[in-house]
Amino acid sequence: MDISRREFAERLALVAAAPWFLEDLKPAQHQQQAQEPTGLAKALTEAVRLRYPDRFSADDLTAITRSIDGRLHAIERLYQTTLTNADEPDFVYSVYRGAD
Amino acid sequence: MDFAFLSVVELGRLLREKKTTAAELAAYFLDRLERIGPRFNAVVTVTRERALAEAAQADREIHQGIGRGPLHGVPYGVKDLIATKDYPTTWGAEPYRQQKLDADATVVERLGAAGAVLVAKLAMVELAGGMGYNQPNASFTGPGKTPWNPGYWSGGSSSGPGAAVAAGLVPFAIGSETSGSILTPAAYCGVTGLRPTYGLVSRHGAMALAWTMDKLGPLARSAEDCAIVLQAIVGRDPKDPSSVGRGFRPLPLTPSPSGRGGTKWRIGIPKGADKDIQPEVAANFRAALKVLGDRVDIVEDVELPDLPYGAVAGLIIAAEGASAFDDLLKDGRLSQLTAPEDRTGGYPALAVSAPDYLRALRVRRPMQRALDEFLKKFDALAVPTRNTVATPLDKSFRDGWPGVTGGANVIGPTNVVGVPGVSVPNGFGVQGLPTGLSFTARAFDEAKLVTLAQLYQDRTDWHTRRPPID
Repeated sequence: MDISRREFAERLALVAAAPWFLEDLKPAQHQQQAQEPTGLAKALTEAVRLRYPDRFSADDLTAITRSIDGRLHAIERLYQTTLTNADEPDFVYSVYRGAD
Repeated sequence: MDFAFLSVVELGRLLREKKTTAAELAAYFLDRLERIGPRFNAVVTVTRERALAEAAQADREIHQGIGRGPLHGVPYGVKDLIATKDYPTTWGAEPYRQQKLDADATVVERLGAAGAVLVAKLAMVELAGGMGYNQPNASFTGPGKTPWNPGYWSGGSSSGPGAAVAAGLVPFAIGSETSGSILTPAAYCGVTGLRPTYGLVSRHGAMALAWTMDKLGPLARSAEDCAIVLQAIVGRDPKDPSSVGRGFRPLPLTPSPSGRGGTKWRIGIPKGADKDIQPEVAANFRAALKVLGDRVDIVEDVELPDLPYGAVAGLIIAAEGASAFDDLLKDGRLSQLTAPEDRTGGYPALAVSAPDYLRALRVRRPMQRALDEFLKKFDALAVPTRNTVATPLDKSFRDGWPGVTGGANVIGPTNVVGVPGVSVPNGFGVQGLPTGLSFTARAFDEAKLVTLAQLYQDRTDWHTRRPPID
């Protein structure tokens, strides 16, 4: 099944939530693995590494970079949906006042 | 007497007619949990003392003529992310193996008020799968095994509830779903699973993975049983601000469910629902639609609004999950998790920016409206619950069934917006493994889903089949 990079990125983001969707990914994953992660993904991975400098192996960092890279591509799609300043997040903050 | 595979309705009848007692049922299911549960890695803790005490109380009340409804005296289990006092609540994860919480979750309180008897804390994928596991062995209790063929997974993340109901270890169980965790084990274990609308059931006392997406719901032998359980656990809870007080009442099996004046249900089939999936899964899906033939109008190839469901779901679960488990990330105890990929799976979420997370929450609102407008055209959508049967225990999800790349992704979008779904068993595929049929509807249309599922189960016997375990 041929899917676009955008579709792949969205699916990859979904994988983080529901890993069984990985079964949908196989053909595209090979394409993705061949692509070099973006500089931003590498920089963000470095930020994670600096936060916990003694925690990750090289393989760990590669996996983290790949995951961040996939999510960055997925995020692009969020910004293709038109929103206005009046479109609020779907939670409502309620002010609290306790008993007098 | 063989109680193992009786429904909640049947067990309730035996109790009311005094043909058994709650104590006898509790002892019977406790024995099965201890004897058979380990074969499927389905059980974390058998709550023997509590079960016997609750059963004794139920018997006293029944003897005194006090009736608490159809669950009075009926045993059940909960996924081990639901808090129960006096027993560990492990979240399926090594770092929390000894965790004890000092109060019952609201859902347990409500089942207690309905007279149900807690017999077990059931196994689950560690942290409900929030760290990105990609193969079945992702819990300190080992990989959940489907009773239909223990070389295969019971599904996740409610792996124990699925396997325990299927193996006749409990008549019903409470699972949770953030994105597929009730419907998947229901399909892989050949039981009925109901994912309620977000907010219909209080999450208080349940482990949080993603506060804005987590739902609790029943797995049981039939849609009718799921409805009975749901009725007992719904309702507003001051301890869960996201809970709503809409209640739930099953519909009578009327000929005109939609109120449109017709006599048929209008069922949408998403485009590609049975394309490029396992042939047996596709065949069972079409056969199921045929069973409902005279009661449904099928609308083929419907297309969900083109919106970034996956991006929104992925970002929300990543960000909320990383925050919910920030202590594990900070102190490095993720390294104690069972699945190697889970040990690093939470860290990428540290790179999610706050504006991106908020963008996802802002996009979700028009997404909800668009999907509601879409779902409004149908009484329900129908899809195969999963595009394959259960994954082999020794394979990653990606490699479990190579070449199966199709199907319609409905679980993801419907979980993002929080609408309900139900999965019923609809046959068997390769290796003697069960397949599932799902219906999805608008928010708070559980009654429609249950009625439709019941209509299907009235005409089939897949939900009464027993795995070869005794």
